Amino acid sequence: MSDKTKPETPELERRAFLSCLGGALACGAAAAATGVVATEATAAAPATAAGPQPPAIPGYDWTQHRWAFGVDATKCIGCLRCVEACKIENNVPEDAHHFRTWVERYVTLEGEETARIDSQADPVNIAASGSESAYRFADRYKDQKVAKAFFVPKLCNHCTHPACVQVCPTGATYKTEDGAVLIDHTYCIGCQYCVQACPYGARFFNEARNVTEKCTWCYHRITKGLLPACVEVCPVGARVFGDRNDKDSAISKFLRDNQVQVLKRETGNAPNVFYVGIDKDVI
Amino acid sequence: MDTLFQAAPFTGYVYPNETVIPWTVLIVVYPYLTGLVAGAFTISSLYEVFGFQRFKPVAHFALLVSLCCMVVVPLPLLLHLGHPERAFNAMITPHTSSAFAIFAYAAAFYVTLLMLETWFLFRPVIVEEAQRRTGLLAWPYRLLSLGSYDLSERAMRADRKWIHALAIIGIPGAFGLHGYVGFVFGSLKSREWWSSDLMPPIFLFSAIISGTALLIVLYVIACKLRKMPVDFACLQGMAYALWGFMMFTLLLEGVEFASLVYRGREGIDVIMQFVTGPLVVPFFILQFGLGSLFPLLVLTFIIWSGASGRAAVAAITGCGALVLLSVLMMRWNVVIGGQEISKTGQGLIAYTPVLVGRESLLSAAVVLGLPMILLSVMVRLFPPWERA
Amino acid sequence: MPRHIVRLLVLMVAFVAVAYGAKRYFTVDSFYEYGHYRGGSVADIASDKPKYKGNANCQPCHAEVFAQWSAGIHNSVDVGKAVKCEVCHGPAGGRDSLGMFVNAATGPDHPNNLKLAIPTDSRQLCTLCHEKMTGRPAQQRQIVVADHAADQQCTLCHNAHSPRLGLVSAASAAPAPPRGDAEQGKAKAEVCAACHGPEGVSVDLPGPTLAGQRADYIVASIKAYAGGARDNPVMSPVAQTLESADADDLAAHFSGLKCESSLAAAPPKPAAICVTCHGANGQSTILAAPNLLGQSKDYLTATIAAYKDGTRKNDMMAGVVKNLSDADAETAAAYYVGASCKRD
Repeated sequence: MSDKTKPETPELERRAFLSCLGGALACGAAAAATGVVATEATAAAPATAAGPQPPAIPGYDWTQHRWAFGVDATKCIGCLRCVEACKIENNVPEDAHHFRTWVERYVTLEGEETARIDSQADPVNIAASGSESAYRFADRYKDQKVAKAFFVPKLCNHCTHPACVQVCPTGATYKTEDGAVLIDHTYCIGCQYCVQACPYGARFFNEARNVTEKCTWCYHRITKGLLPACVEVCPVGARVFGDRNDKDSAISKFLRDNQVQVLKRETGNAPNVFYVGIDKDVI
Repeated sequence: MDTLFQAAPFTGYVYPNETVIPWTVLIVVYPYLTGLVAGAFTISSLYEVFGFQRFKPVAHFALLVSLCCMVVVPLPLLLHLGHPERAFNAMITPHTSSAFAIFAYAAAFYVTLLMLETWFLFRPVIVEEAQRRTGLLAWPYRLLSLGSYDLSERAMRADRKWIHALAIIGIPGAFGLHGYVGFVFGSLKSREWWSSDLMPPIFLFSAIISGTALLIVLYVIACKLRKMPVDFACLQGMAYALWGFMMFTLLLEGVEFASLVYRGREGIDVIMQFVTGPLVVPFFILQFGLGSLFPLLVLTFIIWSGASGRAAVAAITGCGALVLLSVLMMRWNVVIGGQEISKTGQGLIAYTPVLVGRESLLSAAVVLGLPMILLSVMVRLFPPWERA
Repeated sequence: MPRHIVRLLVLMVAFVAVAYGAKRYFTVDSFYEYGHYRGGSVADIASDKPKYKGNANCQPCHAEVFAQWSAGIHNSVDVGKAVKCEVCHGPAGGRDSLGMFVNAATGPDHPNNLKLAIPTDSRQLCTLCHEKMTGRPAQQRQIVVADHAADQQCTLCHNAHSPRLGLVSAASAAPAPPRGDAEQGKAKAEVCAACHGPEGVSVDLPGPTLAGQRADYIVASIKAYAGGARDNPVMSPVAQTLESADADDLAAHFSGLKCESSLAAAPPKPAAICVTCHGANGQSTILAAPNLLGQSKDYLTATIAAYKDGTRKNDMMAGVVKNLSDADAETAAAYYVGASCKRD
């Protein structure tokens, strides 16, 4: 009805132009769609042919290994060399707020029912070490009557059903064939959903790189036949690492010879770090 | 390293990595905004789908409010991300087990839906302006018209069918869009404060009341600015909607909290310590007392007494403002409150908001203010009010 | 269908097609190869350079220290404990200098262009493991730092690579046989009897008992007096008249004079610190410490006082006696008086 107010010719021209535009777009869309379908067809072929090749890691085939970690809390002396070694090995920010691994101390005083817990990140312990980048426990219970006390090292559990992998929106974090849960730092968008999802507090955000980080079991070491840095430096053998496919490996023996536990079993994450010597208060 | 992150003080025992709180004000503002989107759309749908004629005066305005909020929704997320330039990774390779990945598509779908519905509703305005205007401002209208000035009976009937369809799809769409935000929190095993099957409906219904409250406030302000009388039937209808949805929201929130306390799982001592300590003002006083119970009582009185004068308008508007505060506090208490309770169940962390910075009170205020600025532009370009 | 709806639908289809095309185009090549992640990431992560290289890396160049460590208690593989080199010295593989993660591009390695630290504050370092701490299992050797070493460095008494090297039991720390000739020494020692007693056992005489003393210690003492490191109005001129051969002979003579001792089984607390080096039966357990056999209480307390006020210079002793109160010094001295020389 409003057409009557304008002359016919410009309207027709406009309509012709716009319909050409619409047609061009439709053609372009069709071309794009066919091109896309074509690439999809060709891309599908090689993957189904023979199964994917393992990642190009020299001298390492991830299908041959099944890594696991063990912690003997009866041996840990809380020296924190593991924490320092991990920070050095993996360029973790050297402060008291970002840890790929840490150690907790559980002290039950006489007359108390539950343990008092602290870690090297507690301000009292930071004061004892002198700085946020040096790690040491303070002897804060030396004047008290202690009924029971022990140390528990903690790290990422590299769960079989990781909650962190489940919630990652992009696929930046994933579980490898040989059992490690890793993060692709070139793909992570830094939303920190995985940090929220981990029940163990193993993940953290690295503000200098704007991505999330966590313990990788020193994947760059274990694929070269070395031990993770924390296991390498532990002076008392509280940390154990190895290949479950090898019946004589340290971890296979550890699992065979001990009655082991995992942390927060009720989450259903199926952790792969096995503990000996933790008790009711360990969280 | 102080400038790169803010370390939070704690009491008791917390995991060392918890001393930096990951999700702060921007992640409080984001569900608040999507809530406003869903809520405003619900009011619009009450007219478009359910045929409540009394909401006709605000129906188109509600849609504009919804659209303006929706367009700003990605902003707080982008500001929060460590690598916003990679944000599209979630759309290029969406990990379908992640609620966040679903969001990217849900948001894209919903903003498209809103734009389409707005376009259909305002087509007569677009066509008229395209034909009437000359100069620079004519071109946006002409582009939007897609070169067709057809306002015939047939065209209008087709438009009405589309509007109706979009509005119908939009209701579950809105519920999905905002319900999933509740799922983001409720589905996590790691935090007792968040882990609940009731989270999606709680978020959804608090979204509806926030949208309704926003419409009440904006409608009254708009009437004042236009120097037009407030359509009391419409306002009263929104007040009824607010009142009804509020009761249901309070019921859900009450049940959720009661269940948490009753179950008394590990960590409940620290939660109760938190709730009766740092959370008293934000939770009991602001969210429940001032923001929920008080407006509920006022609305109950207005409805029971059948009041309808300027005082009633003022009271209803005041209730709307309080409910807006209450829902903002609810988002704060869930998002930040949840992170202040340590995953250990044995410690509490204290968050102090930052005044300026990327994730600060200032950026949150800007993000919240942007939709209003957009709206003021949109109502000029696409006048939603009925011709007197 | 009205024109505008047709055009709208065309636009929407076009948009979806373009979006899908973009999705395919921007998807990284190796994505979906093994699962929902970038397959190339695995090799990327694995290619990072290890910083800790392990002990085998240190052995070729540091063979002697390595051997010491290998045989010592810091390498107790039988109980699954080992303090490896890099724990105290830092990693041999260079760190990334910026501290930022850069795949496989890290700093230079030891020994080329990277010196590893020799820790200077052993007290700070060793106590990380050995400070008595609530929660440390009993099988870990721990000390109450204030009581054990006050504020001295651990390395004063302990070899860091083999901390018990200086503390192994007397049986395995047998001193080397004396170089000199005991017969000749006996003749030369006749003049010494005036101060040191007829058979090297001094009773109420100005000089200390020399019987049963370690030969190397006697030689070292004579040299110290001759050279001025130790100063005594009688011994200094005497020492200067002695040749090296004389010193050896005298040492052989005196060390050959047996000195049986019988000490109380358990030393009192103040003497516990002495026992570490001087032995629980007066026979010292480290080569640097002399036997404390057959000395008088006055001599012992006077010597402790001399170390305390610096008259007699010895870093180790000065550190040990610094916080020893006079009463404790007396108690310790009284204990060692029991190590008197009983002659058969």
